[in-house]
Amino acid sequence: MANTLFTNVRVFDGSGDQPFAGEVLVQGNRIARVTRTSSSVRSLPASSASGATVIDGAGATLMPGMVEAHTHFSWNDQPSLDSIQRMPTEEHILWCAHVAERYLSMGWTSCVGAATAKPRLDVVIRNAINAGEIPGPRYIAASQEITVQGGLGDNTLPHLPQPEFNFGAVVSGPEEVRRCVRQFVKYGVDQIKINLSGEYIAGLPAEYTPFSEEEIAMCVTEAKRFGKRVAAHARSSESVKQCIRHGIEVIYHASFADEEALDMLEANKHKHFVAPGLAWLINTSHHASEWGLTPEVTKKMGYHRELEVAVETLKKMLKRGIRILPGGDYGFAWTPHGTNAKDLEYFTKYLGMSSMEAMLSATAWGAPIMKLDGDAGAEQIGKVRDGALADLLLIDGDPLADIRILQDKQRILAVMKNGEFYRAPAPRDMRSSASTRWQAVAA
Amino acid sequence: MADSEVLFTNVKIIDGSGAAPYNGEVLVRGKRISRVARSARSFAANGGSVIDGAGATLMPGMVEAHTHFAWNNASGLADIQKMPVEEHTLWTARVAKVYLDQGWTSCVGAATAKPRLDVVVRNAINSGLIPGPRYLAASQEITVPGGLGDETLPHLPFPEFSFAVNVSGPDDMRRACRMFLQYGVDSIKLNLSGDNLVPHANAKTTWMTDAEVKVAVEEATTRGKRVAVHARSADSVKQAVRLGCEVIYHASYTDNEALDLLEANKHKIFVAPGLSVIFKLLQEGTPYGITPAKAREMGYEDELAAAVESMKAMHKRGIRVLPGGDYGFAWAPHGTNATDLQYFVRHCGMTPMDALVSATRYGGQIMLMGNELGEVKEGYLADLLLVDGDPLADLSILLDKTRLLAIMKDGVFHKEPELSNNFAGSRRSLRPPYVPAASASAMN
Repeated sequence: MANTLFTNVRVFDGSGDQPFAGEVLVQGNRIARVTRTSSSVRSLPASSASGATVIDGAGATLMPGMVEAHTHFSWNDQPSLDSIQRMPTEEHILWCAHVAERYLSMGWTSCVGAATAKPRLDVVIRNAINAGEIPGPRYIAASQEITVQGGLGDNTLPHLPQPEFNFGAVVSGPEEVRRCVRQFVKYGVDQIKINLSGEYIAGLPAEYTPFSEEEIAMCVTEAKRFGKRVAAHARSSESVKQCIRHGIEVIYHASFADEEALDMLEANKHKHFVAPGLAWLINTSHHASEWGLTPEVTKKMGYHRELEVAVETLKKMLKRGIRILPGGDYGFAWTPHGTNAKDLEYFTKYLGMSSMEAMLSATAWGAPIMKLDGDAGAEQIGKVRDGALADLLLIDGDPLADIRILQDKQRILAVMKNGEFYRAPAPRDMRSSASTRWQAVAA
Repeated sequence: MADSEVLFTNVKIIDGSGAAPYNGEVLVRGKRISRVARSARSFAANGGSVIDGAGATLMPGMVEAHTHFAWNNASGLADIQKMPVEEHTLWTARVAKVYLDQGWTSCVGAATAKPRLDVVVRNAINSGLIPGPRYLAASQEITVPGGLGDETLPHLPFPEFSFAVNVSGPDDMRRACRMFLQYGVDSIKLNLSGDNLVPHANAKTTWMTDAEVKVAVEEATTRGKRVAVHARSADSVKQAVRLGCEVIYHASYTDNEALDLLEANKHKIFVAPGLSVIFKLLQEGTPYGITPAKAREMGYEDELAAAVESMKAMHKRGIRVLPGGDYGFAWAPHGTNATDLQYFVRHCGMTPMDALVSATRYGGQIMLMGNELGEVKEGYLADLLLVDGDPLADLSILLDKTRLLAIMKDGVFHKEPELSNNFAGSRRSLRPPYVPAASASAMN
């Protein structure tokens, strides 16, 4: 594996400190050394960097690769849930592979699979990425969504009762939950997904909470027996409380969490992660007219009210220091895969995060949610620090000054995962200038 | 948008027609070859890129006449079916790229291992989702109970165990063909004969009734599709020609009657012998548990002697014999397919030029695009290889990826020639050393 030295970069290191001028040496798959330099002096490659490819960043920002906390590779950028399930398995797996690459190319070097639409799609993609057969981010592979009859993910019709119509796995009673969890464990998932609340677009109120305590307990017990984590679709306040009571660490949405739920969350805030998926609420409410979901329609469905409530709830969570992460339900026509960095903009606009807080939401919690904490609390990802895994982005500009540049592929000059460039910086046009900006030279 | 232009200059052109090579240049505009000249500096590229070939060979992209993208480089047939459909689709997609990487810009699917793998991968290539050659998608092999491809066991009768589809009788055949045609295949594959890989159904055996074969031909041709057959026995070859199957794989055992039939239909019929299995198992099968003694016992020595004679006779009679066949096993992994060209020259009476024509001009014809594919000719599709060296002097260079300096399909580089000089603007020279600038490789 080639070594790489980034010189002349502004390092956003993910610690919360302001960026500093420096150099970062990558050896093998890890960051070997982060050096602060005086911004006025252009440093020369150190002797220990000999043999490394030198990337002169000319002042660009070097930051940790971003972590998406709620991805559905198998959602297919279509306007309905039904069209996800109408895609045959063969096309679906090629689609997932294509989407995995899209995330990596947009700077998401790690993703947490939130649920897959057919039993093995996530697992197979994770394995193919890990085997080097396809490009993609580090990936936590999810199960299908486990749901109840009539719940979110049950798409069968009275005359079409075949389970293949569902993107969820429909269960009833603890023993069916056990069998279902074990089947996904057998397939090799990292995380079990359970739908604890409803969803307006599926014709179910967000505040509907259909699972029995016995079923949830069985789900968590079986998952943990095999060392798997559980994640929940939990919009209702009661479903958020169920997550905390049963030890479901990853909570998606949490729109309607009441004060009691927030107290419970705060008391366990080092254990739980919240990925609200604001993009879904915002864009479904206001930007889906083209697909028949006019604001009038989505207001009637309940999305406008949910967005309002969710924003207030999330602001309270922020104050309480609960970990809020970007990501969530990209992969619909009005929230296509790859536009996920909009979440960071939404965090600043809707929740009042500073751009520093928004950038940290995409990096600082990455290690624990990806289970890459390291032995002594030393995060393996999400930080630019000596010894961390070299998941790095080179950004043209300063995301702290304008968080939106992270949405622009042109501004993401380079993406490195595990010490290897997925996208190396393009050489600057040699004909117009002798400058070495972006140019790699053998040191 | 104006079509982009690429000018290959200073190249030695093997045009695929069988004509002697000549020095010249080739201008590609958009997806087609717009000009071919027999001298250098004949025309200027209008703002496009200029590839100075420095004497490298420019030839048509090669066409593989008998590919199984879904075969998974294992040493047995059962391993193919043990791969789940998700992994199998990703595998098939990767194999498609392997072929293009090796200069096969078109492939004829000979059979797939699960119903839709070939069709899905063809569609993904055509939509630009994945890189791959032009592709004609095949059905699974259709066989009869006990024939080649029926991998079920008495206590495991499930059809998912088989890479082929079992039919019995014309009605069954019609149903199977219609399913594949519904899925969108370009050809229906029938296993007319057995195969020495499966001892209970060896290469000299013939399995299908005329009534079954006729139904398949009727269903396929009604919808403008072709029937391709696995036909090692003489009877199966004759059955194929008699009943209108146009693509004949193997044809190891032929008698005069079979050869006469083939010759009489030679403008319609293509033969791809797929010699690799026979050669490899006889000579290099030991690591896979097939010692030379075992290979002889399986019948491969006998089949090789027959197949070599059959191919020589066919070539003499002007019957089109094409490269490709049954790569995708441990002993002949995907990508090593150009070995076939060497077999043709060493054993089947072809000259190196004959072998190249079989991989190019005949290839365009088997792709059903003979008037626009397979030759370096004005108006033809720009499927081109830039080869470091002269394949006529040494066909083995076509096996070496590093000697394939550039691979173009439809006027677009799949593999671009590497820059010899990073500061040369849009002009690219391949004069040695080909890649002197460390910076070029580091950046790309």
